[in-house]
Amino acid sequence: MRGARLGRWAAAVPMALLALATVYPLLFTGNVAMKTRRDYILDRFAPADSLNADNVVTAWTSVGMGRYFANSLIVVTASVVMLLLIGSMAGFALSRLRFRGSSVVFLGCLAALFVPFQVIMVPLARVMADSGLIDTYPGLVLAYVAQFLPFTVFLMTSYYATIPMEIVDAARIDGNTIYGVYRRIMLPLGAPALLSVGILDALFCWNDVLIALLMMPSAEHRTLMVGVTSLQGQYSDDIPTFGAGVLIAAVPVLMIYLFLQRQIADGVTAGSTKG
Amino acid sequence: MPTRSSSPPARPAAPERAGRAGARWRPPHAGTGTAAGRPSRAARSERLAPFVLVAPAVLILVFLRLYPLVLGVNFSFTGDGDRNGSPVGLDNYVYLFQDPLFRDALGNVGLLVLLLPVAVAIPGLLATFIYLRVPGHRLFRSVYFFPAVLSPVIVGAIFNLLLAYDGPANAVLGAFGLGPVDWLGDPAVAMITVVGVHVWATFGMALVVFLAGFATLNSSLLDAARVDGATLPQTIWHVIIPGLSRTIQFVFVTTMIGMLTSMFGLLYVMTSGGPGGATYLPEFYIWIQQGKMNRPALASAASTVLFLVMLVVGLAQIGLLRRSGRED
Repeated sequence: MRGARLGRWAAAVPMALLALATVYPLLFTGNVAMKTRRDYILDRFAPADSLNADNVVTAWTSVGMGRYFANSLIVVTASVVMLLLIGSMAGFALSRLRFRGSSVVFLGCLAALFVPFQVIMVPLARVMADSGLIDTYPGLVLAYVAQFLPFTVFLMTSYYATIPMEIVDAARIDGNTIYGVYRRIMLPLGAPALLSVGILDALFCWNDVLIALLMMPSAEHRTLMVGVTSLQGQYSDDIPTFGAGVLIAAVPVLMIYLFLQRQIADGVTAGSTKG
Repeated sequence: MPTRSSSPPARPAAPERAGRAGARWRPPHAGTGTAAGRPSRAARSERLAPFVLVAPAVLILVFLRLYPLVLGVNFSFTGDGDRNGSPVGLDNYVYLFQDPLFRDALGNVGLLVLLLPVAVAIPGLLATFIYLRVPGHRLFRSVYFFPAVLSPVIVGAIFNLLLAYDGPANAVLGAFGLGPVDWLGDPAVAMITVVGVHVWATFGMALVVFLAGFATLNSSLLDAARVDGATLPQTIWHVIIPGLSRTIQFVFVTTMIGMLTSMFGLLYVMTSGGPGGATYLPEFYIWIQQGKMNRPALASAASTVLFLVMLVVGLAQIGLLRRSGRED
């Protein structure tokens, strides 16, 4: 027994070091973002003199991160709303209604989960260009919806499958149409799943760079992540401003993580336990 | 997620509504039409409802996922540039396998497959310790997970600072009298570095999945192993691995998919495929051919190859794990 306890402490030491290695890179970047260019060149490791937001302001205004931030916010919000609406409608129908072809649709969603974006990105760009959607907000939103819909439908279907059929039947007896059941029962009951899936979808869209690069080539349409990549080339001699730009892109995600960690973990594990 | 919660918000609504239900009562599923003699407009609308509900999802998947997939395979048998659109048979595929950059990309896929067991073992081992309640396990759990929510772009940008020649990583090595290492500039090191950063950024995901698997593990088996005096390696080998074979299988497949399809951001920010093509992966090759070289047909051929690679890797892994699972 004592040996086991000792073993646990022995494991805790490298794990604590790993935890440090997990946090340190972001702390280092945050520290760099507070420094002046001169301080950075003199000593990049020393703690910054003060909580200096000058670089963040510069990155937000003159570098254009504010604009990119707004672009990302618009696109991500629209994508997530569409994903949740379309995904929950399909999930309800696939899990709780019987109709011809439902298993084909569900298997199609499963199969689409395993077709990565890289496989379809070239022809998708062609389709978008042909329909005049390239370099437009709706185009990027549609691309995100198409990319993350299989995941959304899959999780909503498996969540709704746990809601007892009796509840649906009772609502039907009470005179609800199927649409009424969706609106009055399935949407409110699905709230925990919608939250988990919505957060994950939002993270996927917010963090994406490949789809955004492909669908939004022009500079004024850059999303935040594409903005960070362009920052890297332009500010390679001004690391503190670059660090501030990185921080602007990271902070919203870290906020979501701090407050909604559980929902994120729930979403990530939902697929695994279903097997 | 799906196990929690059953019904709360709907229950109160039901009795309140029941009062007026008498007038509008319909047998459940009357709307599906088969039982009703004369299909009214309402009944028809009910019968169509499931199709209306799935229609948006189906339309999007057919037009923006399935159609491009077919179109892409088609593209891959046509020409680029002068020969735009005309059929060229297997020329693109022949070119691909003669292109040193694409060969580098495939070679790096091989390296990823070799590193895969490590990328799965690290979160697996950490999850084991967290499950065994190492001091501070709650803290470790939430700290380890946090890089998983960061974009590869942000992770790459941060590590560009850390891995600079005179940056913190080499400073730490220097303290032990080692290095400095040219992390991203040395062709022999660069790919390992990028994979290492990818593992740093994603092991939290796998860790959470492992922990969810542990929650389903029969703890009396672990107690029995402890009573029998099994060492930790014995416990892992004989109790945990067989007990978690499905979780391990899931993590293997998702980790491989992650390595093959979500390292673009890192490559784009950290190395741009360099030095000298040392960090090319198929997805990066596709991007370069499509976005920079304007050779969509060649890029489509590379996409098709990537798809086949993923299919083979995924099926092989599932097969292997099935077999090893059955032995126990």
